[in-house]
Amino acid sequence: MSSYEISKSENYLNYCSDKIRPLPVTGPDAKPLPKMTLDGQVVEFVPGDTIMQVAERAKVASRIPRYCYHPGLSIAGTCRMCTVEVEKAPKLMTACSTPATDGMVVRTRSEKVLKSRSGVVDCLLASHPLDCPVCDKAGECELQDYDYEYGPSRSSFVDEKRVFPKSSTRKLSDKIVLNMNRCVACERCVRFTDEVTKTNDLVMLNRGWKKELTVGDEDKGLYNDYQGCLSDFCPVGALTWSDFRFQKRVWFLRGNASICDRCAKGCNIEVHSEKEIIYRFVPIYNPKVNAHWICDEGRLSYKMVTNSHRVIAPLLEVAGHGPTATSWETLIPVTASLLKNSSRALLVLGTDSTMEECENLRKFFSKFVQNGEIRYFNGTGITTSSENKALDHLLRQNDKTPNTKGVESLGLKPLDVAGVNGFDTVILFRSGRAGIPSVAAAKNLILWGVWSDEEVRAQKNVRALLPGLATQEKSGTFMNCDGILQSFKKAVEHRGYGLDVTRIIEKF
Amino acid sequence: MGTINVSREYSVKEKMFLPAIIQGMIITLKRFIQGFIFHKKYTIMYPEERRNYSQRFRGMHFISVDENKVENCTACFLCETVCPAECIHIVAEERDSASNPYGVRKEKKPLSFDIEVLRCCFCGFCEEACPKDAIKLSRNYELSILSRQEGIYDLNHLKREVKGRG
Ligand code: SF4
Ligand code: SF4
Ligand code: SF4
Ligand code: SF4
Ligand code: FES
Repeated sequence: MSSYEISKSENYLNYCSDKIRPLPVTGPDAKPLPKMTLDGQVVEFVPGDTIMQVAERAKVASRIPRYCYHPGLSIAGTCRMCTVEVEKAPKLMTACSTPATDGMVVRTRSEKVLKSRSGVVDCLLASHPLDCPVCDKAGECELQDYDYEYGPSRSSFVDEKRVFPKSSTRKLSDKIVLNMNRCVACERCVRFTDEVTKTNDLVMLNRGWKKELTVGDEDKGLYNDYQGCLSDFCPVGALTWSDFRFQKRVWFLRGNASICDRCAKGCNIEVHSEKEIIYRFVPIYNPKVNAHWICDEGRLSYKMVTNSHRVIAPLLEVAGHGPTATSWETLIPVTASLLKNSSRALLVLGTDSTMEECENLRKFFSKFVQNGEIRYFNGTGITTSSENKALDHLLRQNDKTPNTKGVESLGLKPLDVAGVNGFDTVILFRSGRAGIPSVAAAKNLILWGVWSDEEVRAQKNVRALLPGLATQEKSGTFMNCDGILQSFKKAVEHRGYGLDVTRIIEKF
Repeated sequence: MGTINVSREYSVKEKMFLPAIIQGMIITLKRFIQGFIFHKKYTIMYPEERRNYSQRFRGMHFISVDENKVENCTACFLCETVCPAECIHIVAEERDSASNPYGVRKEKKPLSFDIEVLRCCFCGFCEEACPKDAIKLSRNYELSILSRQEGIYDLNHLKREVKGRG
């Protein structure tokens, strides 16, 4: 099986995985596809496409602004931002909901269209607070962008703006803050909880001027496990992600593709960082794995990488002091002699190690240790990948490590009940996600990879610690719970003395 | 990086240096005679006497405050973004919502606001970018400090400076 590399592709057909749009038939019985004219360019489409989807296939979707349309949700056709001019139609048509027909002639930038868009933006801004300086969406806000591109130079309204006193800063849950004044009533959020999470925990109350977003059940509040997605796709700053609230302005952030290692699903993410400090994870569209979404647990999992208690310097045991920070030059000879002098050594690979790391460590171990054995350990409630099951109908998995299947595919065996009995030296390698087996019976314990201060202190027999890199700090390959191989590149630079496995092995 | 050596030909006159020295001494002598004999002054008796700078002179920064002595800055980072010297460093936080008389208007505030004034080029871009008229450059040009540490103005310092436009 070949792996593919995770990357962000803006122009990819942004269709949601659970509503897969037909792709053109190829082969001998392929019929010629219908054609339409889009801004003078003749484009082919698949019957059933709407004008917006034709534009997506032709990779010119950015010519059509939209609020209510989202490729992962059903079509509502309520915002009227996406209107285009269709020849022979008396009125402007909404691109998101008008089916394309053979021979249709569509213009996305005619004078009439631009006038209509300017009017729509003007109306949306009629009671918009325009508090961009304090709004976290500023910089990636569709209202800002479209107003800049299509909006009128000045507002035609002089009336007082509508204010929702109770919903100006309302915590819908611990994770999401609502500012109803900013909402443009696109109802993406309502459709998301209806169609994707199927929890229906967001609803719109009232109509027109008084239309207000609120939770479905006041006692339960907002409770789905994918709340972060709300703030991703809310076109304005109405729903904001508490964890990122006021942390950083988005234009400072650099986005690099990587993978989420919080569970066996392996969702594709973009790591947003500044000066190599991670500020947030956002999903990357991948129809095979996560579609447009990622779960909240994964979204918050960057905290393990930036944890202030993470050990990022080599440690060596000093009698009476426990593990103490040292340099690689001191650490390597001591570790090497420890391994050489051990009668039976065990290498335990966490199931959060990449395929490459497993291979390299395996080679290293067989070269360095005469009487050694290699096992893998999951430790997040399951032992082997066959025990993994999905926690809901979307993404979340029981297996909280990213590569159990992959480690198994390399022919390794799980750590059995006998554990570490009979071994005098044990190396534990993990990247911060796999559990920690009980290793108190071993005489010498060598920790390798990503460890926090507390985890190291909990072990009484640590002789050395070799700090490694977290998933977002290295490149590698994971096999997810569905057997899909995904490779990823380094998204941020490690800020510390931790090194890649190959670099450490070179030192020996 | 590296050094670039530029060489050029010196004329005989330049090589002797003497003409240049004499030229300089003549100017010194002229100023001496003008000052000592005709009492013409080229300097002022600072600090008793001060120069009158333009109203638009850009000196020390300050952050304006409202009637409750709360800074007008909402930590929007626009000054940090525009600053060509990259000398403004802001950390934002949420104003305690329970005790916030301003509501949404001032829900975000700077936790820390530091200007490394030793790097600042006094271009005034920050003042221009600020949507809240919070950061401003005063006409105060007496910026001497005794240590580099004092060259970092924090929020307290900046708020303290509020005395109109100097
Ligand atoms: S939603 Fe957009 S336009 Fe409205 S305040 Fe936020 S950034 Fe500004
Ligand atoms: S809160 Fe955001 S996503 Fe929901 S209706 Fe308002 S603008 Fe749309
Ligand atoms: S005056 Fe110019 S250089 Fe100085 S802080 Fe403001 S923007 Fe930066
Ligand atoms: S531009 Fe003004 S409001 Fe924004 S952070 Fe700077 S001083 Fe504060
Ligand atoms: S995007 Fe077409 S009507 Fe909203």
